[in-house]
Amino acid sequence: MLRYPVMKHLVAAAALACGFTAIGLAQSAAPPENHERDFLSRIRRLTVEGRRAGEGYWSPDGKKLVFQSEREPGNPFYQIYLMDLTTGDISRVSPGVGKTTCSFINPESGDVLFASTHHDPTSRQQQADELKFRASGQERRYSWDYDPEMELYAKSSKTGTIKRITNKRGYDAEASYSPDGQWIAFTSTRQAYERSLNATEQKQLETDPSYFAEIYIMRADADGAGPRRLTSTPGYDGGPFFSPDGKRIIWRRFDEAGLLADIYTMNLDGTDVRRLTDFGAMSWAPYIHPSGQYVIFASNKLGFENFELFMVDIDGKKEPVRVSYSDGFDGLPVPSPDGRQLAWTSSRGGGREGQIFLAQWNHDAALAALRNAPPRRAR
Amino acid sequence: MKTRVTTHRGSEALKINGVSLRVGKQRYLGASVPRCVVFVLLAVAPLWAQTTTSKTREHVQVLASDRFGGREAGTDGERQAGDYIAAQLARTGAKPLPGKGDMFLPFQFTAGARDGGSTFSVQFDPVNATGAIGGIPQNGQGNNNIRALSFSEDAEVTAGVVFAGYGIVVPDSQNFGYDSYATLDVKDKIVVVLRYFPEDADKDTKAILARYSDLRYKAMQARQHGAKAMLVITGPRSPNAGELVPMTFDTAIAGSGIPAASISGSMAAWLFQSAPKTLTDAQKDLDTGNPHTAGFAIPNTTVSMKTVVQRVTHTARNVVAYLPATAPTTNVQKPWIVVGAHYDHLGRGEGGNSLATKEDAGKPHVGADDNASGTATVIALADAVSKMPTRTRHVVFALWSAEEVGLVGSAEFTNQPPVPIEQLDAYINFDMVGRMQENKLTAQATGTSPSWPSILERANVAAGFDLTLQEDPYQPTDVASFNGVGVPSLSFTTGAHVDYHKPSDTADKIAYADLDRIADFATTIVRRLMESDPPQFAKVEQSQQGATRTGVRVFTGTVPDYASNAKGLLLGGVIGGGPAEQAGMQKGDVIVEIAGQTIANIYDYTYALELLKISEPVKVVYMRGTERRETTLTPSARK
Repeated sequence: MLRYPVMKHLVAAAALACGFTAIGLAQSAAPPENHERDFLSRIRRLTVEGRRAGEGYWSPDGKKLVFQSEREPGNPFYQIYLMDLTTGDISRVSPGVGKTTCSFINPESGDVLFASTHHDPTSRQQQADELKFRASGQERRYSWDYDPEMELYAKSSKTGTIKRITNKRGYDAEASYSPDGQWIAFTSTRQAYERSLNATEQKQLETDPSYFAEIYIMRADADGAGPRRLTSTPGYDGGPFFSPDGKRIIWRRFDEAGLLADIYTMNLDGTDVRRLTDFGAMSWAPYIHPSGQYVIFASNKLGFENFELFMVDIDGKKEPVRVSYSDGFDGLPVPSPDGRQLAWTSSRGGGREGQIFLAQWNHDAALAALRNAPPRRAR
Repeated sequence: MKTRVTTHRGSEALKINGVSLRVGKQRYLGASVPRCVVFVLLAVAPLWAQTTTSKTREHVQVLASDRFGGREAGTDGERQAGDYIAAQLARTGAKPLPGKGDMFLPFQFTAGARDGGSTFSVQFDPVNATGAIGGIPQNGQGNNNIRALSFSEDAEVTAGVVFAGYGIVVPDSQNFGYDSYATLDVKDKIVVVLRYFPEDADKDTKAILARYSDLRYKAMQARQHGAKAMLVITGPRSPNAGELVPMTFDTAIAGSGIPAASISGSMAAWLFQSAPKTLTDAQKDLDTGNPHTAGFAIPNTTVSMKTVVQRVTHTARNVVAYLPATAPTTNVQKPWIVVGAHYDHLGRGEGGNSLATKEDAGKPHVGADDNASGTATVIALADAVSKMPTRTRHVVFALWSAEEVGLVGSAEFTNQPPVPIEQLDAYINFDMVGRMQENKLTAQATGTSPSWPSILERANVAAGFDLTLQEDPYQPTDVASFNGVGVPSLSFTTGAHVDYHKPSDTADKIAYADLDRIADFATTIVRRLMESDPPQFAKVEQSQQGATRTGVRVFTGTVPDYASNAKGLLLGGVIGGGPAEQAGMQKGDVIVEIAGQTIANIYDYTYALELLKISEPVKVVYMRGTERRETTLTPSARK
């Protein structure tokens, strides 16, 4: 699910950290009519504290939101937090050390799944190094490093203990539960560490490890045993989520160069792969609306740095409909379980860093717009 | 099955009879739910709109009624409004502060000025006056024909007279040569100047000269050229010809360091009897705007004048009460939380801050949004706090007066704090919170503590405002007084609008449902403050959001105290990291000279800023207590 550690090379969610300059597609035409209010109302910024926050995922009752945020002194990397949407109380879920990303709440048990490197003995040193780098005034182009120390953990909602789920060399992250809480879909680069690589591959691993990322699923209670690999095309496959009926997986697939991405769905055994988008841009971070009828995702179709939210029917038969109209970053959309709200990550609050925004979602208007959309254009 | 849909406010549940797909426990309004039913229910008004009685409406309606006449500080209307507020606070169980007999904390402030009996007489040298126009002039007095300017010093002066044209000096920095004093020696003389600026000059010249034609500026120039006093004439060719200058009152009450008065047209003609030109001819020459048209000494003429300005002092009242903690606070750090709002407004708008249209001028400025809305919020907050079963800190409810004349009430509180400042946990202010649009609320001064983003984030999760944070505490509202003494502060506002400072800022235009939500939000913040360690104060560094003045591009990082009577520029504060702070200056210092310009008041200072150049160090002389100090200040660019 990365959901947004997608950023490779210069690909970066502008909002979330990077400082890359605009090489966007020049938009010479008059700005399009703003239809954001058709779908989103009562828009507001949910997270305020700290430097950045993103990737908010709902509990099944819609009363909690788990998210990642950089907000504690001493650690310049994301940690995972759980927000009670009724009281406003916020508590940290992850250990506070090292890097974390991509949390998800188990729909059955309430356990919180996330990826973390806190077991890495160099974690504190890495934190200090990053802080020192920042203090030097330099700016880093956002780069997600696909740290091979990244492993999946789950924190028990009952005991509060954190259990390690995966234990394989390679980046294990971007994980989500199936609706019944029995399965975990995740992204892993483990295949690159399990076999011997030829010279070209070795070079590839050094420059762009995400090339080796594939989608896996495993039993949630199997302690990381026996994951089944679902994808095998060259290039980054990541950010898998289950469909609301638990029968399919939606994810985004990059091309080999890692610049273009599109939204796909497949069966849980990797069969019946269907492509939903064809923008010739970076389309990613898909999430299926709980009605099961359509997908909300992010794409930089309108400018390299300008990620906007789009939606497309579940079969990808129609041309996607633009949802957000805001310069900078809008991405990582996640509808609430009742389908009436949308949490997403946006830089619209100012600056480059993202924060989580919340809005009422007009499902009716979304359906109408999708109905009226023209057939999908082939590129 | 029943699908239970809970709003994020958490307390309202809509039960919808529909079929949803079973997906673990993930429930949603599935496709099989009849659309029409679902969306009719979705249209149900939000919870807060269902509140049967508003917490704030009645307070706003009472405070913004005509009977309080616009609640101008020091008036009967303000007193009645204060009585109402005190009664409301008493109703919640709030008590006077420890050691106080009641909730009223009176203070005096300067509300205006009037002439206190200025006099004027002219004596002509009988021997040498034979060349005078119209025969031998007569000595005489014209005490009804003089009026002191509101910023005049009180003094008696007798001296010879020099006519200095319009009395305008354009600073060299403007690259526009115009100096009424260029060829004149006015040292120890009484300078006579024309009001306004050359009438017939071309548009561009007028635009520049107009900028330096303010009487405060003319007085400063006269003083800096060594004159003993300044007399102003509204020239025969000018609008309001021959009239005395009205005694307007501005809130910066500091004197100009020189006696200054206007004299009537007849008195002016009399004064010019032995002059080389009549006043009309002299003005005609000047009105071309030609910079080479010089003034002249008026020979054989001595003026004796006395200026008396009576500054009118009124008494206003802060209304302050508190709800004590429910347990001893001996082990509580900083056991006092202060919430406040100003309740005064502009009266009938005669004080100069009114933006009323001509038709509405003189009507009561009832100030429903400014700031009956904030006052009502504080009363509603007192209601809510009084119902808390436990309070770990005392909560002070402070309604300030004389905010509109320069944050006087709150400054009075922080300068003579009835509770020690170091015991204050935080200050929360509300100023104009009644006109919410599109759910937008702004929190100002959030830079005063690193805790604010955290507290605001948590409180707003349930409140659900589209909340904007502004770090800058240098705001034209009472939060500035508390920031100035190092108390972590917040100020809420829903922003300015077309009725701002007009009689049309009325109670029927207030968004009461949203105002109630702000009161709830504030209650949550106060509760979170009670439950937390005291927020740490942070000094906000020089900000890009700082107040800007058109035409002033240099930045000195000084925060003038507008209400000061001090000779010089009293600093109400210095902006963290700004040039003044870097030069070693601090709150309470009084600047008396900058870049060679003597400074008697804020106006002198403002004009002096025109002379400063970005990155060019200048000498500053200032008083710290009785000690005269010098430093070098390097202005930066105003962002």
